[in-house]
This record gives sequence, structure tokens and C-alpha cells, in this order.
Amino acid sequence: MAKNYAFIGLFGSGKTEVAINWALKLKEEHEKVAIIDGDIISPYFRTRDVAEELEKMGLITIYPKGALRNADLPIITGGAIGYLSNEEYKTVLDIGGEENGVVVLGYLRPYLGDAEISMVVNIARPFSSTVDGIIKAYEELRRVVGIKVDYLINNANLSYETTSELVVKGEEMLARVSELIEVPVKFTVIPDFINEDGNEFRYPVFKIKRFMRMEIQ
Amino acid sequence: MAERVLVKGTEAIGEAAVRAGCRLFFGYPITPQNELPEYMSKRMPEVNGSFLQTESEVATINMVYGAACTGRRVMTSTSSPGFSLMQEGVSYMAGAQLPAVLVNVVRGGPGLGDIQPAQSDYWQATKGGGHGDYKLIVLAPSTLQEAVDLVSLAFDLADKYRNPVLILADGVIGQIMEPVTFPEFKDPNTLPKHDDWALQGAIGREKHVVTSFDIDPVVLEKMNLELVEKFKKIESTEKRWEEYKLDDADVVITAFGTIGRISKSVVTRARQEGIKVGLFRPITLWPFPYKRLEEIVKGKKLVLDVELNMGQMLEDVKLAVKDNAPVAFYKRMGGMVPTPEEILDVLKMELGR
Repeated sequence: MAKNYAFIGLFGSGKTEVAINWALKLKEEHEKVAIIDGDIISPYFRTRDVAEELEKMGLITIYPKGALRNADLPIITGGAIGYLSNEEYKTVLDIGGEENGVVVLGYLRPYLGDAEISMVVNIARPFSSTVDGIIKAYEELRRVVGIKVDYLINNANLSYETTSELVVKGEEMLARVSELIEVPVKFTVIPDFINEDGNEFRYPVFKIKRFMRMEIQ
Repeated sequence: MAERVLVKGTEAIGEAAVRAGCRLFFGYPITPQNELPEYMSKRMPEVNGSFLQTESEVATINMVYGAACTGRRVMTSTSSPGFSLMQEGVSYMAGAQLPAVLVNVVRGGPGLGDIQPAQSDYWQATKGGGHGDYKLIVLAPSTLQEAVDLVSLAFDLADKYRNPVLILADGVIGQIMEPVTFPEFKDPNTLPKHDDWALQGAIGREKHVVTSFDIDPVVLEKMNLELVEKFKKIESTEKRWEEYKLDDADVVITAFGTIGRISKSVVTRARQEGIKVGLFRPITLWPFPYKRLEEIVKGKKLVLDVELNMGQMLEDVKLAVKDNAPVAFYKRMGGMVPTPEEILDVLKMELGR
């Protein structure tokens, strides 16, 4: 089992939700778990926006504290390196979208150790809705970071309109991608409002609760 | 049903513009709308359009002015301080009767403010941000699907009335991700060509002049009165709003944009507690639906206006409500967004419960 985990992907693939839920899952078995907000791209809907909630749940949250929390500046605090290097902590890295966001992972590469790198894919997003589109994104991210991607994660979703049919469609597409680029699929994400019983999923199911949200009804 | 895709607000607005036939985009970066010009920089070359990142918002709006003179569909987007910089050009465009779609993804202010969502540019948008007698048609989406639909409408209204149309979004609408269905692509060649006034080369015809100015005050007054007539026509035909659970309501919440969507949750929660609340959500902030709001509030116990500013739409709400019902107001500012529970507590306090 890896000590560090990093989630990368295109804009809106769901990296932050997956990273938060993965950190909480690690917390079930490990005393010390830290989550690093490494998103230098999005101005909000980031890990730091729910930091207090996550701290209450026992996670250590790493982001620029105090006045710089909401500054429009691409800051990675020194603490990130500390937690990535500290053997006592399981550490999860939430990285910003696209090639501009993923440079953070390149910067932190010397401290990642045996980190498990996963690429989160949402086939309901315009630029990753085809096998070719996903492979193009994979090649681009890999080129920028200069790092091996260990796993793909199926996070096919339409936010609150996600259906099990869409999730299954995501599995089918990722299965083809996985065969072509020879990167295995780690799991399929399903939101807590979908009942997994009665659905045949190809990959292990990872159930998540959504943290980034805005009221509608 | 057409395909549903998950998009960010800024992308939704950009793609909707492309599909509405917009092939000219000028912009300058400012948070929280940076993904919109970024999206357009990728997308415009794909559809044989032009994207240009300018040196400032002042340059941007003057390029939009120039491009709009050709009669083609043109757009820019910015955020609060950037829109302030554009005001001179916006006034010139309104004076010269030029169609264009402008997007302001509002952030905190005044001054530099912050990058968090706000609605504090309502006055600037609806009461004239620049100099002179003019109006912008102002559309305020509260969901991304509505943003997509309103961008399409904005281009049509701009063409129909030869007037700039403003999409007033806040940071939440710019940054949130939601499923949407995009409309089909409009062929730019099938859109209004504006041959009667646009500057497209005067070979074989009389020259056209696009200007906001005449040196003869008699002529300038005529130009002013022509605008006044146009604005009256827009006021009588283009008001848009949403009514939500108002039929049996004792209490009316008035809110626009993001607060409109949050208020729907307030309505649901209040009704679970037996308080009959409904929502009146203006979609056109100008022209404001005064008459309909006045009809609705007659005999109501309370009108609660909620905004992310010091009480800007509140003035229009009071003009509409008159003495037909008591008006209360709740605000958050500086980039803070209230939760439905918070608004419900205020509502209960106002009702003495």
C-alpha cells in the first residue's frame, strides 16, 4: 500500500471529490491522514473551501492558511513537502486541472516517494467523452509531469443527474482506454444517491459523498 | 433528448456563444472568469473564428466596438473591476446602437474586492455604468442551463434592438459545474447581416456611418429620443421572470442569480415547516418586471429581498411593491454566500416565529 496518493485529470473530472473521499477512506484505517490542496487553477470549489469540515472529520488539511487562503496566487505551502516526506502520514494530493494545474505534481515529484498516481476520468465532460479524447488528455498530462500514471479511475458523472447507466458507459469506455494504454482501472466512483445493488459494475465500486455543491432545490 | 454534458459555468457561456454564431471574441484575464477566454482561445480557431487577448479591458471594449460595427456577432467577458474599465466603451456602443454580448462574472467590491462571488454590480448594470442616457438589456442566469439559453437569447436581442446585452453572472455561476444540454449550431451565414447600417465596404452604395455623436444639438436630441423610444419598446416586450410556488404563498422572496437558486431551497424547507413561501426571480434585471411583482405581492404578509450586496435590487423591489406589503432585506457581502438555513432563520425572525 502506498504512503502518498495523487489524483490528476482534466478540469471538472472530479479530482477534488475523489481525493477528499479517498482521504476519508484512508482515515478509517490510519490515524494520521493529510490532504494537500494543490489546486493552483480553480478560484473556488477547492479542498480548502471545506477545510473546517474535513478537519472535524480528523484530516489534516494543507493549504495557504490565514490571509493567503483566498489570494489569487499559485501557492504551494512548505507543509506539503513535509507531509509527503513524513512516513507517519498517509498523504493525499488534490491537483488542479489540465496541464497548467498538473505542473504542481512535477514540482513535488522529488518528494512523492512511491506515490500512487491516478487519473480521474469523467466521460460526461466535453473533452474526455471519447476514447481518443481520454488518451490525448492522458498523454498530455503525462508529458507535463514526466511521471508514470498507475491507475485510471472511472468517475463518469453528471453531478446530481448521474445515473447507473452513465457509470456503466464510463466503465465500457475506460476498459477500451485501459487496454490501449495498458494502465489498469482502479475503481468506479458512484455517488451516495445511487444504489449499487442490482447493478453489475465491472470494476470495484468506490462510493462517495459530495462536498462541493450549491443548492438548487 | 440531446446529450447532457457536465460543464463549468464559464465553459457553458463560451460554448453557447459559439453555437449562437459568435465568431469574434476579445478578452483580458481576470478571476473568476478566466476559463471563458481560455475556452474561447481553444474554440475560436476550431470554428474559423477569431480570439484576441488584449492588453487591457479598455482595449477589449474598443475592439468589441469595432468588431460590432461589421454587424457580426461579437462577445467579451470580464469580472467587476474589468467591467468598470469598459464603461466608456459600453456607453459609446449603446450610443452608436451596436449589438454585442457582454459578460460580467461579478466578484466582491468595491475597488479590488476579492475573487469570491458577489452581486454588487446590479446598479452599474441596470442604472447605467457609463455616462449618458442609455440602458443595457441585463440577463441574470441562476443555473447553467439557463445561462446557456440566455446567451442565445442575448445575441438575438442584441441583433433585434441594436443594443449591447449584458449577462450578469456571479462567481458561483461562473465556477459551478452542472449538467446542460447545448442547442444546435447556428450557421453565422444565416444570421442577420445588418446590411442597412453595418460597415462592410461601401462599394456600389452610399456610405454608412456608425456613431454616437452629432455636432448639431437638434440632431443629437433626435438620436437621444430614438434611443428613448427603443428602450420603451424593450420595456414593454422583453421583461422576463420566474415565479416559483407563489400561488398559495403568504411570503414572497425576491432574489436573482445564485441567490435565486438558493432561495428555491429556502422555499422547500420553509414549506416543510408549514410556512407558505414562494419565490419571485427577475431574469431580466433591466427591464425589471415591476408590474408583475406589484400584482403578486398584494395582500402578502412579507416580501423578503435577499442579495449579495448592500441592497441594490431592493430599490426596484420597493418601487414595485409600493405599500402593498412590508419589505425586509437580508444581505451577505464580501464574497460570502448564505446557506438556505441562514435565510430561513432570517425569514422566521421577520415573521416573529
